[in-house]
Amino acid sequence: MTARPLIEIEGLRVVFQGDDGRTTHAVDSVDLSVANGATLGLVGESGCGKSVTSLAIMGLLPKQSAAVSGAIRFDGVDLLGVPDETLRDLRGNRLAMIFQEPMTSLNPSFTIGDQIIETILRHRGGGRRNARERTIELLRRVHIPSPEKRIDEFPHKLSGGMRQRVMIAMALACDPQLLIADEPTTALDVTLQAQILDLMRELKAASGAAIILITHDLGVVAEVCDEVAVMYAGEIVERAAVDELFANPQHPYTVGLLGSIPRLDRRTTHLATIEGMVPNMATPPAGCRFAARCPFVEDACVKTPPPLAMLNATHASRCIRAPLERLVS
Amino acid sequence: MSAALIDVKNLRRVFDVSKPWLNRVLEGGHLEFLKAVDGVSFDIKRGETLALVGESGSGKTTVARMVVGLLPPTSGEVIIDGVSMTDPRQAQARRRLRRRIQMIFQDPYASLNPRFRVDAIVAEPIRAFELIQGERDIKARVGELLSLVGLHPDDGLKFPHEFSGGQRQRIAIARALASEAEFIVCDEPTSALDVSVQAQILNLMRDLQDKFGLTYLFISHNLAVVRHMASRIGVMYLGRIVEITEGRRLFDNPRMPYTKMLLGAVPDLAMSGRQRIPVKGEIPNPINPPPGCAFNPRCPLAFELCRRKTPELIDGVACHSVNNPAAAIPA
Repeated sequence: MTARPLIEIEGLRVVFQGDDGRTTHAVDSVDLSVANGATLGLVGESGCGKSVTSLAIMGLLPKQSAAVSGAIRFDGVDLLGVPDETLRDLRGNRLAMIFQEPMTSLNPSFTIGDQIIETILRHRGGGRRNARERTIELLRRVHIPSPEKRIDEFPHKLSGGMRQRVMIAMALACDPQLLIADEPTTALDVTLQAQILDLMRELKAASGAAIILITHDLGVVAEVCDEVAVMYAGEIVERAAVDELFANPQHPYTVGLLGSIPRLDRRTTHLATIEGMVPNMATPPAGCRFAARCPFVEDACVKTPPPLAMLNATHASRCIRAPLERLVS
Repeated sequence: MSAALIDVKNLRRVFDVSKPWLNRVLEGGHLEFLKAVDGVSFDIKRGETLALVGESGSGKTTVARMVVGLLPPTSGEVIIDGVSMTDPRQAQARRRLRRRIQMIFQDPYASLNPRFRVDAIVAEPIRAFELIQGERDIKARVGELLSLVGLHPDDGLKFPHEFSGGQRQRIAIARALASEAEFIVCDEPTSALDVSVQAQILNLMRDLQDKFGLTYLFISHNLAVVRHMASRIGVMYLGRIVEITEGRRLFDNPRMPYTKMLLGAVPDLAMSGRQRIPVKGEIPNPINPPPGCAFNPRCPLAFELCRRKTPELIDGVACHSVNNPAAAIPA
């Protein structure tokens, strides 16, 4: 672990302006940091703002409709302040992203080789022949069989798992320092998911890149991450080292989320559920955003928004009633 | 009751996936067939939940569609409460049976008519089977059904787009219950939902089962969900059931190598660092499956017989090295 994290996000806010004048507070005061070689899992359910956070880091949010504020410092440079040209030099080079849908994120009218070579030529220059050799090497690294032949194939000839490998090869093309993987295995079967997760672990060990893994699946987090941040309604509600979070969750939402997952290792008659629904983010509630669904709610919760308070050196929770142990008993 | 409510015998379904005739003549190529389901047999007792698990393309949805009669089988038979779903002589009895079978589909965004109000959607089976006469009584029954699945009777006046995914799935469940169905086929009912919503729907389905003694055929790719829901589980691979047994036995002591691989692939929430079989290869092309046991190219225990002869389902498992340990090569 180095002293200064590779990426530091402070007070990130994203507000979308709708056509009809409505505003949606998609992400609110998010603070995150990832050190070199570390893997951070960003978990939450649909609409909690995890993908918007990653798109904000990559500078891929539409400028007309999304107001992004706060600071995203990548290796000391604030990405929100730099011109587009600088961002273009970083994306695909030192910053790379793997998208969720391997079916739609590859261009169907170019061979997979062309698409990877394009990235290499844009950032590294050099001859096409060298780029092609490097591409074959990359395809071999992500365990695509006979890469010399596969390089000239079009995406439709590959299965879902193979396409996701191509996406990973493309993201790795210029040895990124930060890799953002947005639900990389959601569209895949469990056996393929296991293969892709193995591959990610292997690459993490080999490259030393920092990884932000975005997922709704806590099982995936348990498999590959060092640290976890749980998001709810645009905010980070809990942050901890991975084993700490699973063993000792300190936010009622995390507790509910963990309880609602059917498990292989135990069988219960009833799964825990979180009653109610996610608040409307056009008008977020004044106090704690989880208050309306929280079993431990008290008056103070609905009045003022709780801060993300440190419980110990590595564990933070946005709940004024934490630690929760005394409440459960 | 010991007699099976559902009896499925040697069900097969072949799809013709050849190019059109003219293309075959001009460009060459011959007829190609995809065996989506290849000899599947199982039974489900009254009040029981049988789950079929498998990866994409294993044929589980095709089985579900054939069981409810949405897709005619190529061969084989589905018998529900003694009535054959395929025998033309039993058409009369089958019509009476229809009411008792319902299905819940995977995508709650596609399975509700967007132009119908919710009360019309839920009332449709009641009207179709003429279960209740009189608008007032129908309306009262719809309100009752909506409350039963955790919605408000006034929600009946809304359209499907006003509801979230979990609520839509509740509407689909209310519709299935409207005809007083006894047997419900659930095809991936929660795979489009978030985990916390999934938990609500799974709990609801279990409660309704206890309340009405429902029988479920539950199709899913998620092993943890299946473990939670099912009393018996069948694992499918390339159109066949490769292992079928009680839920607890399957998870504690999987026998078929594919089941072991599948179980090992599930992300481990407990982080126990359990031993797992690494996943090798991918599902072969079902148009041209490998000879013998379809799993043999990926199987760590495969031996000569596996490449030659398709194993029979004996004592709940279709595997040469399990059923015939003497001939097998020790791993």
